[in-house]
Amino acid sequence: MSMSHILQADRLSRNFGGLQAVDNVSFTVEEGEIFGLIGPNGAGKTTLFNLITGLTPVSSGTFSYRGKLLTGLAPHCVAGQGIGRTFQNIRLFKGLSALENVKIPQHSRTGSGLMSGVLGLPASRHEERVVEEKAWELLKLVGLSGRAVELAGNFSYGDQRRLEIGRALALDPKVLLLDEPAAGMNAAEKHTLTAFIREIREQFHLTVLLIEHHVPLVMGLCDRIAVLNFGKLIAIGAPAEVQQSQAVIDAYLGAE
Amino acid sequence: MTAVQFLQNFLNGISIGSVYAIFALGYTLVFSILGIINFAHGAVFTLGAYLTYSLAVGQFGIGGLFADLQLPFHFSFPFALLTGSILSGFAGVLVERCAFRPLRKRGADPLLALVSSLGVALVTVNVLQYLVGSEIYSFPSDVYGDIRPAFVLHFGEKLVVIRTVQIIIFSVCMVVLALLGYLIGWTRIGKALRAVAENAATASLLGINVDRFILYTFFLSGFLGGLAGSLVGTSFGIAGPYFGVSYGLKGLAVIVMGGLGSIPGAVLGGMVIGLAEAFVPSEYSAYKEAVAFAFLFAALLIRPQGLLGRSHIQKV
Repeated sequence: MSMSHILQADRLSRNFGGLQAVDNVSFTVEEGEIFGLIGPNGAGKTTLFNLITGLTPVSSGTFSYRGKLLTGLAPHCVAGQGIGRTFQNIRLFKGLSALENVKIPQHSRTGSGLMSGVLGLPASRHEERVVEEKAWELLKLVGLSGRAVELAGNFSYGDQRRLEIGRALALDPKVLLLDEPAAGMNAAEKHTLTAFIREIREQFHLTVLLIEHHVPLVMGLCDRIAVLNFGKLIAIGAPAEVQQSQAVIDAYLGAE
Repeated sequence: MTAVQFLQNFLNGISIGSVYAIFALGYTLVFSILGIINFAHGAVFTLGAYLTYSLAVGQFGIGGLFADLQLPFHFSFPFALLTGSILSGFAGVLVERCAFRPLRKRGADPLLALVSSLGVALVTVNVLQYLVGSEIYSFPSDVYGDIRPAFVLHFGEKLVVIRTVQIIIFSVCMVVLALLGYLIGWTRIGKALRAVAENAATASLLGINVDRFILYTFFLSGFLGGLAGSLVGTSFGIAGPYFGVSYGLKGLAVIVMGGLGSIPGAVLGGMVIGLAEAFVPSEYSAYKEAVAFAFLFAALLIRPQGLLGRSHIQKV
């Protein structure tokens, strides 16, 4: 196994009853890449994200991060390895404020015990200040520092998407999985989002995996693209190559 | 009803209502995390009462395996109450380990945990009966030390009697409510608990060890159940191993009334049920529970989601 790949999927499979949602999928992702994952509805893209993050157990196959096996780990341990994600259907903690949303992932990482937090001991008070500062920075980054104490549930759709990315960044991830980040955005917002994803990749030295339906956005943003259809990987390569692939054209337009 | 009678009923009501509130909060915490009712909560209530009794008094009654057993020590009441409640918290952890976690890990329908928790409740109650017998245990009147048993307020001819135990119950419950409010509202444990309650899967993807927080929740829930049982026991005695059953049902009424999963709702619901019972005239006191449940039905007709519950319109 080459150590230069940051992520490696090796014959990943998951079936639900008779349905082969992800079928023998292998690929590698290089450090710093923006790696797109496209395919028709129901192709298994989100299931693949769920397998990577430990939310759904694999039926067979492995997934590793810098040569370390992630399959079989509980979701919070995968997150602890530095893998953050957002969701197709936004999953913020709607009853908590924007600030609390970006604090929570940090709390699970800070050192001092929960009990000292309850008792307000000095060590945890210091940590709390660090957490607080970073939370404000992240809110500023996603342009929501003016609304930090508002409940996340009251935000507009676009703001919620940005907050969810901010929350994922609070984990200090090395790998960020974005599930349809541009869904429901207009052309101008999509353009801003593309620039934003590039910007956070530079700033946080991220490797980004991205599920997206909007083809121009994927083509413009991604270094490489993998195409799934009925759970199978049918093409992988640079955007221009993938666009030429007969298998991909068939998958999207229907074969024959 | 005269104003003095009203005052007397009101004071009785808020004292017992505050215990209902902390007891019901035990249900609420588990419900808000797992979305199911822990039917073993009433058994933990009973267990807590016996634990506090045995730690405070140091001896058992004439029935069961422990008949006439003397403990080599006994604690002061506050310490016994605290220790009994903490041990009940660990009993709550055992309930999670036996009745909830194995089913959850195997992906069973969450409703099955209702049955398994009911099973744990029955086993607990039966073991208690085997150990301590089924007789009534009453705390000795000097259990609080030298404090006088009651305070009498004079209003001309009329008297309002406040039993010391009522003051103790109310004060302990208020302190516990304040601490719980602080814990859930202001500490990182509380924030993580709220995150797990809102969406456990998302919380786990943000690095929160959900199983650990479920354990914390069951500890808190057991602590509250055991504390409530101990307080009710000191006020009315422990009417045998089954005495938690009716309180268990009443606790359910409280959380349904207040709104499932709502913490302020559990407190308000506890107070409403406690007051409703207190205002039942003494000649009808045998029907207290029917009155409390009638109140529940009336409230649900007006607000099906409970007094402070959120309506489920947005959930499909």
